[in-house]
Amino acid sequence: MTAPARTTVPAARGPMAEAWDIFRRSPAAMLGLLLLGLVILMTVAGPFLYQVDPFEIVWAPLTPPGEEATIPLGTDNLGRDILAGLIEGGRATLAVGFSAALITMLIGVVIGAYAGFYGGFVDDMLMRVTEFFQVLPPLLFAMVVVTLFQPTLINVALAIGIVSWPQTARLTRSEFRRIRTLEYVSAMRAVGAGDGNIIWRVILPNALPPLIVSATLTIGMAILFEAGLSFLGLSDPNVMSWGLMIGTGREYLLDAWWVVTLPGTMIFLTVLGISLVGDGLNDAFNPWMRER
Amino acid sequence: MIPSPAFSRRFLLAGAVALAALGTAPSISAQEAQRGGTLVVASVQKPRHLNAAVQSGIATAVPAAQIFATLLRYGEDFEPQPYLAESWSFSEDSKVLTLKLRSGATFHDGQPITAEDVIWSLGVVKENHPFSSMLAPAETFEAPDQQTVVIRMTQPHPAILLVLSSALTPIMPKHVFDDGQDIKSNPKNNMPVGSGPFKVTAFEPGQHIILERHDGFFLKDRPYLDRIVIRQYQDPNSAVLALESGEAQLFPMLDSTRLIRRLEKSSSLTISDQGYAGIGPVNWLAFNTKHPALSDVRVRRAIAYAIDRNFITKALHSGLSKPAIEPVVRDSPFFTEEVERYDFDLDKAKALLTEAGFGEGGQTLKLRIDYLPDTDEQQRSVAEYVKAALAKAGVEVSVRASPDFPTWAQRVSSYDFDMTMDLVFNWGDPVIGVNRTYLCSNIRQGIIWSNTQQYCNEEVDQLLNAAGDEPDLTKRKQLYAQAFGQITADIPIHFLNEIPYHTVWSQAVQNPPISIWGAMGPMDEVWLKQ
Repeated sequence: MTAPARTTVPAARGPMAEAWDIFRRSPAAMLGLLLLGLVILMTVAGPFLYQVDPFEIVWAPLTPPGEEATIPLGTDNLGRDILAGLIEGGRATLAVGFSAALITMLIGVVIGAYAGFYGGFVDDMLMRVTEFFQVLPPLLFAMVVVTLFQPTLINVALAIGIVSWPQTARLTRSEFRRIRTLEYVSAMRAVGAGDGNIIWRVILPNALPPLIVSATLTIGMAILFEAGLSFLGLSDPNVMSWGLMIGTGREYLLDAWWVVTLPGTMIFLTVLGISLVGDGLNDAFNPWMRER
Repeated sequence: MIPSPAFSRRFLLAGAVALAALGTAPSISAQEAQRGGTLVVASVQKPRHLNAAVQSGIATAVPAAQIFATLLRYGEDFEPQPYLAESWSFSEDSKVLTLKLRSGATFHDGQPITAEDVIWSLGVVKENHPFSSMLAPAETFEAPDQQTVVIRMTQPHPAILLVLSSALTPIMPKHVFDDGQDIKSNPKNNMPVGSGPFKVTAFEPGQHIILERHDGFFLKDRPYLDRIVIRQYQDPNSAVLALESGEAQLFPMLDSTRLIRRLEKSSSLTISDQGYAGIGPVNWLAFNTKHPALSDVRVRRAIAYAIDRNFITKALHSGLSKPAIEPVVRDSPFFTEEVERYDFDLDKAKALLTEAGFGEGGQTLKLRIDYLPDTDEQQRSVAEYVKAALAKAGVEVSVRASPDFPTWAQRVSSYDFDMTMDLVFNWGDPVIGVNRTYLCSNIRQGIIWSNTQQYCNEEVDQLLNAAGDEPDLTKRKQLYAQAFGQITADIPIHFLNEIPYHTVWSQAVQNPPISIWGAMGPMDEVWLKQ
């Protein structure tokens, strides 16, 4: 982790502070953070500033943005306020993104950790299972999961988690395989630490940087996944989300561009923000970057 | 026949070609019509097989009406016309129907069509067709000679003339189909030997059905076309694109209002809402009358008052669908204005809810709404609107999506629902398509499109049954008006709108199928201008 001999950053500072220094020097990463911050602010503070029920019919259907002062972003095919939908929908979309990423990490890290740490038979078994999931086309598999159960927000998050964990598992496994041969792990073993202790308290913290980057990108991917499922009509009809707005609005794309374009833009900006942050983190955690 | 206002308006737009077709159909003079050509019909329906004797639904009916002849046929009004039967008459007590068959008619394999084939076919339909009420009163089918068929009934059954038409009772060759196999699963249903104007030469499920002219067809000079190809498309969008590019010439059953509005501006294609009087498609909201809250008629009425039909027809369907107010559609001969309409009245809705112990002061009413998947504009959007509309009356509605048709059908037919959107056809006569939804005897668990509302009112049963047995049309209409009045008062179903089905055809198509059965009727009179 810390390689003081080669670094040009003052050695007194902790690794996280170093990472932040690198992160903040990247304009792209800061832009990403700004975008993400704005989106989160909008979904958290928005409902207090703009109190309109996103399911309520407030005006004539398909009113263009700007035509009516009280409905700045226009209405959808049912006459529901688009701005209210964007605010309320952002929360559901982000919730799906974060919880799907969490599920992905939980499954992926546990399986990857055991496979990478023990190797041999355990590794073979777990990797066969992983490969089994990996060869299934993810979108199709997620559709099957959502179709089998109800298309509720939780099930959608679960479906996305279930189809996206194999990559995390593979990444975790390779990190564990690398780290378990390092000297400090052998040292821990020599002083009599148990397997569980070594896996979770010694190797995992050291394997964390690439996993954090991967988790960030998984959030972005999960949001896109949710939008994809919604586009196919597989979203929770009782919870407003950007995906649902796109799913119901796509029929009217030619007549009313704003119905799909506005939530689509929100998804674009959010995923862009997440990706830029992810890239920034990747650089920040990369030891070679510290030489600059 | 008096064209409906909507029809004539669209026809003015469509121009002189269409007007000519309206004036002369269905018996256009033969000199005018040109022989030959291939008509490509675009379809998004997927038939399981092609024998309409044992399978209901549009998907099978469209090809089956070309492959099989029926005893009678219909034009643009509800007046029967001769087809395979030259003439017919009822006995004094209306319980015996005698039909004279055309002589010289042959099946596609060259064998003559005899009264023996006809009575065998009628028997098969009576035993196997999903619409069991169609021929229920028919007791015996007799063939006193080769050209005569006698149907004896236990009671007068005026609907029988309609039952004998279109794709409902196809006449099949007994020597081919009576082979000891179960007719429902007989592989011959995929490539049936028929009696109609066209014979099937290829059936590739998901791709196309090819129908070639039957040269030995019993009507002189018919059919005019050499070939009909029913080509499958993934969705209405691609079907419409195929018509615009000239790849197909006819597309029935289009219900996307967005596409209809676009095609109305087309100069090369004609679009009409004519041809759906027989099907009579109604979009409605059905209540589970055994639900604790919905068993209270005041709650059901309150929900009805809270829903604005005008919003659905004008805003959601851009003015193309008509409001539905009762079990039958406006084009049905039994349509009446004398029913409870439940025009939008939010105050009344709130008052009724309070009376029933919900809303202000009482508990919040929470309901779930289901909808038929895959028909977003008619079902999903309307379900979402109902959610929003009822929220204004203080009712919390959650929308439940079904991933596919079987899931939805399973839920509704096992009564696992509070309210559901549904889309149901009249099928020409109330005896065929309407009674099934309301009769106490038709509360049959596990069967979709039976009385899944579990609504039972003896008085309604008596009225519907009496109307079914009434040979006099005026009296029949009165009885149905009474029945519909009672049904709308009891409101097991809130009627929302008629499905805006339209048929699109290119300029070359003459005599397009716009009879009451539309494309589910024989297309022997259709011809292509070259």
